[in-house]
Amino acid sequence: MLGCAWVVLVGCGPLSTTHHNPGSSHEVATTSPTAVSGEVRVAITIARGEVSPPSGWVEIKKGAAVALTVTSDVADEVHVHGYDVEADLPAGQATTLRFTADQSGVFEVETHENKLVLTQLAVK
Amino acid sequence: MTGVLAHGVGSRSDLPIPLFYAYAGAFAALVVSFLALGLLWADSRFRGESAGRVLPVRPPAKVLRIITAVLGAYTLGWLILGPEEGNAAPYLVYVVFWVGLVPASLLFGPVWRLLNPFRLLPDRPRRPLPPRLGHWPAAAGLLVFTWMELVSPEPAAGVTLLLFALLYGGAQLTGTLVYGHAWLERGDPFEVYSTLAGHLAPLGRRADGTVVLRNPFDGLDAIQPAPGLVATVCVLLGSTGYDGFSGAPVWVDALQSGPLGRTGLGTIGLVTAIGVVLLLYVACIGLAGLIGGARDLAPRFAHSLVPIAVGYLIAHYFSLLVIEGQRVAIMTLRLPGEVDQEIVSPATIATVQVGAIVLGHVAGVVAAHDRSVRLLAPARAVAGQIPLFMLMICYTLGGLTLLFAA
Repeated sequence: MLGCAWVVLVGCGPLSTTHHNPGSSHEVATTSPTAVSGEVRVAITIARGEVSPPSGWVEIKKGAAVALTVTSDVADEVHVHGYDVEADLPAGQATTLRFTADQSGVFEVETHENKLVLTQLAVK
Repeated sequence: MTGVLAHGVGSRSDLPIPLFYAYAGAFAALVVSFLALGLLWADSRFRGESAGRVLPVRPPAKVLRIITAVLGAYTLGWLILGPEEGNAAPYLVYVVFWVGLVPASLLFGPVWRLLNPFRLLPDRPRRPLPPRLGHWPAAAGLLVFTWMELVSPEPAAGVTLLLFALLYGGAQLTGTLVYGHAWLERGDPFEVYSTLAGHLAPLGRRADGTVVLRNPFDGLDAIQPAPGLVATVCVLLGSTGYDGFSGAPVWVDALQSGPLGRTGLGTIGLVTAIGVVLLLYVACIGLAGLIGGARDLAPRFAHSLVPIAVGYLIAHYFSLLVIEGQRVAIMTLRLPGEVDQEIVSPATIATVQVGAIVLGHVAGVVAAHDRSVRLLAPARAVAGQIPLFMLMICYTLGGLTLLFAA
């Protein structure tokens, strides 16, 4: 349990200090009590087969609402594993997926055509 | 099914274990190792083959093998005729067969030997199995299977699994026709995998087929050194270690943005993981031999790595078995309902993971200790064990680090 607290306090994903997702509102969620009910926002762009920010790890509190915005330069499909949330990605157009992170575990967000892992959602 | 995920199938992976669990596991492993060094017996106690109480049981092998053959045909049917989406075949192969073999073997001994449909073929060897071949074909087969599962571009695709089934079936058929059932015992990767894990079962099988109830340590002691045994165990340990590492964001990022491509870099990663495990083993055993005044120890300590490998396998596949196992039942039996991904809590998963790694470590230490006092010069047996314990501590801390950090 001590370990749990430690991980939450430090607030970074394992091996991912350099990959912390700037789109995540994780810091807000741990500092302000009113933000707990707020959406966790993640924004990812795919250009020429490159994911930016580079594929990382987003920590999400179980039960939080997630808004995942993906923009791809080619038409594709995005899939959140485990939650089985899917959406078409028209080329060059931002698409937002919304769902509640109600299952714990680590889930990959992946595109179907390019087979790129956009990020991993660590729900705890 | 898209298959970038580790394990071939499954839609989630485990959360990292809390730091406290990692420390508790590491501490337990260290304490047990040093206690073992000082306190365990000075003369070898395990009696291997000769130990155990004979049970008057004769399992109905033929019937069981026919049932497996039917189930194999059923899986092939799913592969060939089943839909692309929602196909049960990858789950049958990776969850029921591959992962399920571990608990089945731990409970009932070498089950794949009992179930192996290739054992329905007549045992008429045309020539004797060359002793030098040993377990090498099994090591190669396990490497191919784990490569397919963890590295190949489409581990869950029908084509991939059919190709593997063709390779596996072809190799076993040819091997059995040339060398008889002796081939299956040493060359069938799954029979070797199941038999190695089965040596830890209380229900043991002696070389002559007698079923015995025995101390798992006696069972472990009965593992016969053979060429390729070290390689086989290192493939199991290294591939499971790679599985733990392959989900780490740094590695995922390297896989998809590196110049080698996903499969190229993945192959290098898998082979490197196995190589590191093997190198550590060879180096530490060499050192133990130097200190203990004995030579050619590598094959004779390989049995002590089996519980460590099994601990790794349980730690990495426990949640997959209980979560995706439900999907198999739902798909094949057409049950209503959905997979309950929350059937086990993260705390339970972490406890099982750390428990399996630490128990595997303890069993490995005890097995290595008993073998040391048998093989090393008595005055140097304790000192000679130090490199072996360092080796196991490396594997165990490595395993815990992977659970914590990747």
